[in-house]
Amino acid sequence: MLSYIIRRVFQALLVLLIVGLVAFAMFNFIGDPIDNMLGQERTEEDIARLKAQLGLDQPFVVQYFKFILSALQGNLGVSYEQGRPVADILVERAPATLELAAVSGVFALTLGIILGVITAIRRDGFLANSIMILSLIGVSLPTFLIGILLIYLFAVELSWFSSFGRGETVALGNWTTGFLTASGLKALVLPSITLGLYQMTLIMRLVRSEMLVVLREDYIRFARARGLSERAVTFRHALKNTMVPVITVTGLQLGSLIAFAIITESVFQWPGMGLLFLNAIQFVDIPVMAAYLMLISVMFVGINLIVDLLYVAVDPRLRV
Amino acid sequence: MLKYIAVSAVSLACATASYAETFRWAGTTDPQTMDPHAVNSAPVLGFLNNVYEGLVRRGKDMSIEPALAVSWQPIGEGEGWRFNLRQGVTFHDGATFDAQDVLFSYQRASNEASDTRSWFAPVSDVKVVDDYTVDILTSAPNPIFPDSIANWMIMDSGWAEANNAALPDKESGNYATLNANGTGAFVISDRQPGLTTTLVPFDGWWDTAEHNITEATFTPIDNPATAVAALLSGDVDMINPVPIQDADRVDSRDGTRVVRGIEARVIMLGFGHEADTLKYTAMEGEKNPFQDVRVREAVAKAINVDAILKTIMRGSAEASSQLVSPAMRGYSAGLSDRPAYDPAGAKALLAEAGYADGFSFGLKCPNNRYLNDEAVCQAVTGMLAQVGIKAELDAMPVQNYWPELREDNFDMYLLGWSPGTFDHEHPVRFLVSTPNSEKKLGSWNFGGFSNARVDELLPLVQSEIDDGKRQAMIDEIVGIYQSEHAYVPMYVQPLVWGTRDNVNLTQRPDNFFILRWVTMN
Repeated sequence: MLSYIIRRVFQALLVLLIVGLVAFAMFNFIGDPIDNMLGQERTEEDIARLKAQLGLDQPFVVQYFKFILSALQGNLGVSYEQGRPVADILVERAPATLELAAVSGVFALTLGIILGVITAIRRDGFLANSIMILSLIGVSLPTFLIGILLIYLFAVELSWFSSFGRGETVALGNWTTGFLTASGLKALVLPSITLGLYQMTLIMRLVRSEMLVVLREDYIRFARARGLSERAVTFRHALKNTMVPVITVTGLQLGSLIAFAIITESVFQWPGMGLLFLNAIQFVDIPVMAAYLMLISVMFVGINLIVDLLYVAVDPRLRV
Repeated sequence: MLKYIAVSAVSLACATASYAETFRWAGTTDPQTMDPHAVNSAPVLGFLNNVYEGLVRRGKDMSIEPALAVSWQPIGEGEGWRFNLRQGVTFHDGATFDAQDVLFSYQRASNEASDTRSWFAPVSDVKVVDDYTVDILTSAPNPIFPDSIANWMIMDSGWAEANNAALPDKESGNYATLNANGTGAFVISDRQPGLTTTLVPFDGWWDTAEHNITEATFTPIDNPATAVAALLSGDVDMINPVPIQDADRVDSRDGTRVVRGIEARVIMLGFGHEADTLKYTAMEGEKNPFQDVRVREAVAKAINVDAILKTIMRGSAEASSQLVSPAMRGYSAGLSDRPAYDPAGAKALLAEAGYADGFSFGLKCPNNRYLNDEAVCQAVTGMLAQVGIKAELDAMPVQNYWPELREDNFDMYLLGWSPGTFDHEHPVRFLVSTPNSEKKLGSWNFGGFSNARVDELLPLVQSEIDDGKRQAMIDEIVGIYQSEHAYVPMYVQPLVWGTRDNVNLTQRPDNFFILRWVTMN
């Protein structure tokens, strides 16, 4: 058991190191931050001096090694664009992304389960068919298009919601939250729908197909024969038994909600880490890009590691 | 400082309750620092013009007017300039402005750590004569010196030293990166880098306020579709820029309108003059055709600028014959004709130069730097194909573009130039002079154009006091770069801002957004 865990942790660390190496190799192709940092009236010497100062004249392997070395000491470097420690900026931006991911996760899960159940029990009804068709649109339209459509409909034409940003936020220590103000809550609606729509359709389809299988099982038939109400059969007996794969998928999807918030954040000018990353690409802000990518891969690797360890806990056959 | 801001923020919060004139605007980039000497870029200097002030400032028509200096005059026979400073001016934190602050700001802005250092290349010394008189001495007569320092902003020496910000720190930032203490019309009350910046009027400002804003917030919105939606929905009062393709929609909608103008930026094509062979061609090893002036002239004649303006710029821009727009100082009024669109003439010239069958070459182009830059390059490619020369277009993000140009990886390229000093001398110094890193000349002359007479004239232009003589020399330089077709200037880039109908504002060709000229009804 212990050797299994050690082996998994070791593999996870290796994956992290490789992700970092690939990221740093890529930075060479993103361009050069120098022109963004120096103005129009820069000279060749200015360029050479700044390059040397930032260590950009060295091979990417050396840059990467230096990054890892200082990251291990808790120093993620200083943003080229903002001239502030990257760690401070990430801490500042994280609440926006995490709150958005949490709300869209809840939205995707509740609506996905409800719609999944509806489409499963009324398989050929008009409502179920319309939901299925709409969900097809949901998976096939790109996120940014859905976002823009929602903005034009609900912000520009109907003026129900604001078109961008987080609304008013309240600071609780280091954490800024949009949950405590009306405008903050309203601001969460459109981006959460945009971000969660894909996951919602995914969960809905998963619940539906699981339900269809479960509803054919003998114990459902017996439950009905016992004279239980349709509601009790559906929710207490059928739905409960479909939850295991749903929970697994939701857990894994939480990571992608955070990681793929980039596009939603850009469309809604949502001040989270994804938007920060996009700006960093434009500016070639290498310390920010590196820290963000490492953070996201730590998150994914972490989630997978936990899932793997949970399997061990659940499945005795793995404990050899 | 913080206490002061807190107090003024509270008093303003009360004021906004009675008549709320909160002005919200959005642009594509956040000013990366609040330090006026750290970064010499339009987003930073444009923004900080609302907070800090220089000895002189630019008016609505770009003319130089007194700001922290009430008057100035040349010393002797062009040894420098004497500035008489304004009395009774205070910084936002209450400190008094005097000559020591000017000296300090000179030392700070001309330091090696500052991006604004090059503005002070002509300066040999700065002397404090008395509390309200400063002499700025130049190594040679410098007639346009007052014009060139409109963006040199004065910082309080006491404040900077007390906060350990006596020098700008671009790489790791310091107190002045996030905080500001100027003498300008607005005080920064809240700064969240990359998110929002809030300004409130400065009660103690020396000048009379023209605006009626009680609070202003700036939000960077880099997705153009989001910015347009924010304007249309009324979440912001002004955006800059409006994408050209959305301009008509914004203009025709109730409640919003578009403010159009001409920027100081000229968009041009450049050639690899110095390269002996083409880099991207089928005819490898042969002589670079662009070294032949007839080929360069043929390119100029082959490009239908009017068609580009009509289709790609939708009528917003203006054709250009020179490296500066007509609004700039030193524009050569007598040389305002650009070569007429003449494909037959272009073909004849190519045949004369021995390229009757044309040739192929590489055209480099940015795709996110200037308005519709890639589309313009595609049009140029098509027009050149019609006279028989085949451009292989390679468009890329600007982050990759400048390194590519610096490494000479081009045969022809697209460039936009906005003269920081609003004077014709500026593009001549940066684009036409023979590259010379020691003298800091020609640092953007990627193609290596070189003309001995231009190099000879430039220092004379820089030190000529007499306006007529100066203009005659500039005219001669323009004549040279036009007849040599060193560049093919195409058009002056348009400015397209969008505002709510109830906003009155002033648009300046430097694309600076000046809050003190904004009124809201």
